[in-house]
Amino acid sequence: MQYTFQFGQITRYLPDLLAGALISLEIAFVCFWGALLIGLLGAMALHFGGVWTRRVARAYVACFTNTPGLVQIYFIYFALPEFGILFSSLQAVIIGITLNAGGYLTLILKSGFLSVHRNELDAAEVMGMSRLQLVRYIIVPHIARVLFPPISNKFILMVLGTAVAGVFGVEDLMGRTINANAESFRAIELLSVTACLYVAMTILATLVLAAVSLLCFGRRRSSI
Amino acid sequence: MPHLEITNLDAAYKSQPVLSGVSLSVEKGEVVSLIGPSGSGKSTLLRVLVGLLPPRKGTVVLDGTPVDYSDQRSLRALRDRCAIVFQQFNLFRNMDVLRNVTIAPVKIKKRDRREVEAEAEALLAKVGLGDKLRAYPSELSGGQQQRVAIARALALRPEILLLDEVTSALDPELVQEVLDIIRLLVGEGMTMLVVSHEMGFVREVSSRVALMSAGAIVEIGSPAQIFDAPKTERAKDFVAKILRAH
Ligand SMILES: Nc1ncnc2c1ncn2[C@@H]1O[C@H](COP(=O)(O)OP(=O)(O)OP(=O)(O)O)[C@@H](O)[C@H]1O
Ligand SMILES: [Mg+2]
Repeated sequence: MQYTFQFGQITRYLPDLLAGALISLEIAFVCFWGALLIGLLGAMALHFGGVWTRRVARAYVACFTNTPGLVQIYFIYFALPEFGILFSSLQAVIIGITLNAGGYLTLILKSGFLSVHRNELDAAEVMGMSRLQLVRYIIVPHIARVLFPPISNKFILMVLGTAVAGVFGVEDLMGRTINANAESFRAIELLSVTACLYVAMTILATLVLAAVSLLCFGRRRSSI
Repeated sequence: MPHLEITNLDAAYKSQPVLSGVSLSVEKGEVVSLIGPSGSGKSTLLRVLVGLLPPRKGTVVLDGTPVDYSDQRSLRALRDRCAIVFQQFNLFRNMDVLRNVTIAPVKIKKRDRREVEAEAEALLAKVGLGDKLRAYPSELSGGQQQRVAIARALALRPEILLLDEVTSALDPELVQEVLDIIRLLVGEGMTMLVVSHEMGFVREVSSRVALMSAGAIVEIGSPAQIFDAPKTERAKDFVAKILRAH
């Protein structure tokens, strides 16, 4: 293969790519909190719900964890308009990623509900706590500590997963890479830079999450 | 009218019967101790009373009002007046000592946080934990956790206090302290149901002693009667065993 690397030709895209990386992070951030909320509601439905609530939650999880995320976004973007429901590409991507991650987080958080100590739940119940208070004061703090590693992992996967947005013309890091490539045809250089930027984002996210973990649970690492 | 009246109570875990035909009536301000061999159903009786295990049969009447264990309102009214200290303490691991004690009065009873905290600090000082307010349960010894659990129950200002083996993790000196607290509460007219293996403690603090065996109360009477002149064979047997053990 005869190929001359010409990184010089793509430096002018760098600011653009960096701005795209920021958008990717923003998408991941928004989707993550949405998905976490869905996951919490889903886990509560599975744990406390009646027969029908549980069925609905299970059906949701089954739908979104057994089909490719890409198909889900395609469905939202291209199939829903047939029913008169229209989203912009960015909206479709955000909704798709959120619903997809929400399915996985429902499963992760459900395991957290199951691992709360029976003793603590008994004590809380006998004090007269309502279900919501139980979730807020006992279950969520327990989950936050015990499930911090798998939830952080999910977040990092979501940062990388935002790359699908580019397919739909969103101006995230991947979208901008695709555009820059169409203009310059420097695929190898561009994709190498983009890959490095994704690595940088992952490292950044990991560091931030580690700091959060240390701040919140540093004192009680040994208490599980 | 008895403060707490239990009539013909049956309870079971899944299909395994644990309590059968338990009847017990406790007057206001009375301290009734439950003794009996391990597995005889003492803890289970307390769990049924506070609504953690629904009874299969029988009634519980609190101050003249029957408790309906399938009704949330009735349960809330019951839990508003009863507090329990569990055998395993059951502290909240994600909260420090002070928050363990204050969470229920503040969040459930909606009392003023500052007032509750002041009261909690006083209670914790009384049980010798004034310097551990910010410690987490995992940083405490068993006896310290037990005392937090006692303070947590008292912070609820219950009329009826259920104590499950609260002295088992304490050294003799602390047993005395807890005894003092309990005597104080008795003086204030609190009704108590106490499970204990500590015979000195039981003798000292109880107005009556009930001996449980295989899920039933086999004999009930004053401490002197149960320990010095038991009537049933089962009671004679048990008392002889614990006397030998001491
Ligand atoms: N969660 C449970 N599930 C099934 N069976 C249980 C459960 N808890 C207790 N049991 C059974 O119920 C019976 C009574 O137990 P309980 O804990 O009330 O005894 P206890 O008198 O408090 O004993 P100890 O003095 O050892 O605390 C035992 O046979 C025990 O095996
Ligand atoms: Mg017990």
